[in-house]
Amino acid sequence: MDVPFAPPPGQAWTSVSPRLARMRRALVAASVIPLAAAALGLASASRLAGLITGIAAVLVLVWAWSAVGRNFRSWGYVERADDLMVTHGAMFKKLTVVPYGRMQLVDVKAGPIERAFGLVNVKLHTAAATTDAQVRGLSPADAGSLRDRLTALGEAHGAGL
Amino acid sequence: MPGSEVSLGHTDGGPPEGTFRLHPLTPIALGGRVLGLLVAITLLGLAERGSSGGPRWPQVIVFGGLAVLVVVHGFITVAVTSYHLMGGELRIDNGLFQKQSKRIRLDRVQSVDVLEPLSARIFGLAEVKVTTAGSERAAVRLRYLALPEARSLRADLLGRSTGAGEGSPEAPERLLVTVPHGRLVGSVLLEMISWRLALLAIGPALAVVGQSNGHRATAGIGIAIFVWFAVLIVHAVWQRLNFLWEFTVTESPDGLRVRHGLLSTSRQTVPPGRIQAILIHQPMSWRPFGWVQVRMNVAGYGRRGSTKRATLIPVVDRDFAERLVGWVLGGVDLDEIPLTRPPRRAAVRAPLWWRAQEAGADDRVFVARHGLLSRTIDIVPHQRTQSLRIAAGPVQRVLGLASLHLDSTPGPVKTRAANRDAGEARSLLDRQVERGRAARRIAVPGGPVPAPQAT
Repeated sequence: MDVPFAPPPGQAWTSVSPRLARMRRALVAASVIPLAAAALGLASASRLAGLITGIAAVLVLVWAWSAVGRNFRSWGYVERADDLMVTHGAMFKKLTVVPYGRMQLVDVKAGPIERAFGLVNVKLHTAAATTDAQVRGLSPADAGSLRDRLTALGEAHGAGL
Repeated sequence: MPGSEVSLGHTDGGPPEGTFRLHPLTPIALGGRVLGLLVAITLLGLAERGSSGGPRWPQVIVFGGLAVLVVVHGFITVAVTSYHLMGGELRIDNGLFQKQSKRIRLDRVQSVDVLEPLSARIFGLAEVKVTTAGSERAAVRLRYLALPEARSLRADLLGRSTGAGEGSPEAPERLLVTVPHGRLVGSVLLEMISWRLALLAIGPALAVVGQSNGHRATAGIGIAIFVWFAVLIVHAVWQRLNFLWEFTVTESPDGLRVRHGLLSTSRQTVPPGRIQAILIHQPMSWRPFGWVQVRMNVAGYGRRGSTKRATLIPVVDRDFAERLVGWVLGGVDLDEIPLTRPPRRAAVRAPLWWRAQEAGADDRVFVARHGLLSRTIDIVPHQRTQSLRIAAGPVQRVLGLASLHLDSTPGPVKTRAANRDAGEARSLLDRQVERGRAARRIAVPGGPVPAPQAT
């Protein structure tokens, strides 16, 4: 575990729903289908071309599969006394601290595919556009209660600009 | 015309309370350059003797008609727009078919500007622009009012927003700094000196090549390119000078006031404590003269098109700038703040300039410097830091480095301690979190010490 991205002492990252990985793997599988179809089509014309495309499809699948896993495991958040700490990113790691008193609004969003997998994103906005604090892939129940807790804490800590 | 039954008059004198309307000359000022052009073309059409010997009727009808449309549109805008001042609130109603009503809580006001674009200034009119926290579009523009009315409205709005009360007269002001003409012209010209000037050589190079090969078209294109670049540069210089002319910063109880402009003038007022972050920048070509410029983040100024508005001082001595910034932030001595550098191995990622990436903090502000040739100091008070971030890309992680970012409202100031040792970055973050928490608990009012005076 990288030092700067470790959870605060005495606490552990709350991880997000494993359905996030499942959804992304489904998307990966769906996007490999055209490649696989191309491999089959080429195989009838030339064995070699079909083989190469087939191997490429498998490699892409394996790499994307594990990348999804790494990205999923990188997500984590901790609700602390005065702020929310969020981390994510496997290659480009990030850790964001948003004081409750600085929150302008809490945004709860889910796209159509995410809804089908029962996933919701919670995003925190401050007066800074560069604040990048969102928790992806929460279950609707977790997202709802997180939003309610954050809103309540935001009101209690409200510090204006 | 629907506007004809509506009274276009605005109230004269008395404290501005209740309902007001825009000035009746607004349609012409709003039309501005476009209207002027349309009228000119129409007049030319009338004056010219065509082959038949009479005026050119098609030209007159088309352009005259367009001019009338512009004016009619302006009149409708004036007729359906009204603003209301009540207690701590400003309300603007407008729209003919789609009614729109905007309310502004005056205690949320981040800045009030009085702008006089040339087309309005001719008629003695001015725009009042009220900026609140939020997006650029959250700004409310009252176009146009008579200048005295605009000024008293600004004073009143600021009075209400800072709690001084309704109908406040204009607060007295004290001069902090004014930019002499010679220095402004010199600084703007010097700032133009950059690698982009090399582009100017493209034109003459083409011309020479074309001439020596006897290829006259190439030579012509070369000359055209040169002229085009030269026009662009002259235009850019003119725009900056026109905007920054007679730049004056004064201090008053309702905030810092910035006044500038040659043909179009503008007066910004930023109430105390509304400056979110501030930077002192020194372009390379200014270093022999010891000049710097000061820019700021104010919530609601936004990122696009407002880089000019974010200017606090376009050019000033470095020493004075540091004292002024220290004062604006409530008595901070920038030289007293200990700064640290990234570890030597950061040179892999930032070859020469890693040495310049210094950062440090005291109990009030976080300071970060960067730039070897052009130098910048970014300063953000702990109290105004919005959120904190550590980020590390693949190269940084191999080197055991990470960067700490301090998020502020959109603007020119982007504070970061780049390429720190990974462990140090985290302890910096933890300490900043602690400092922010302490600062939010005890809000320090801005400027308890006397302001520095330019010599």
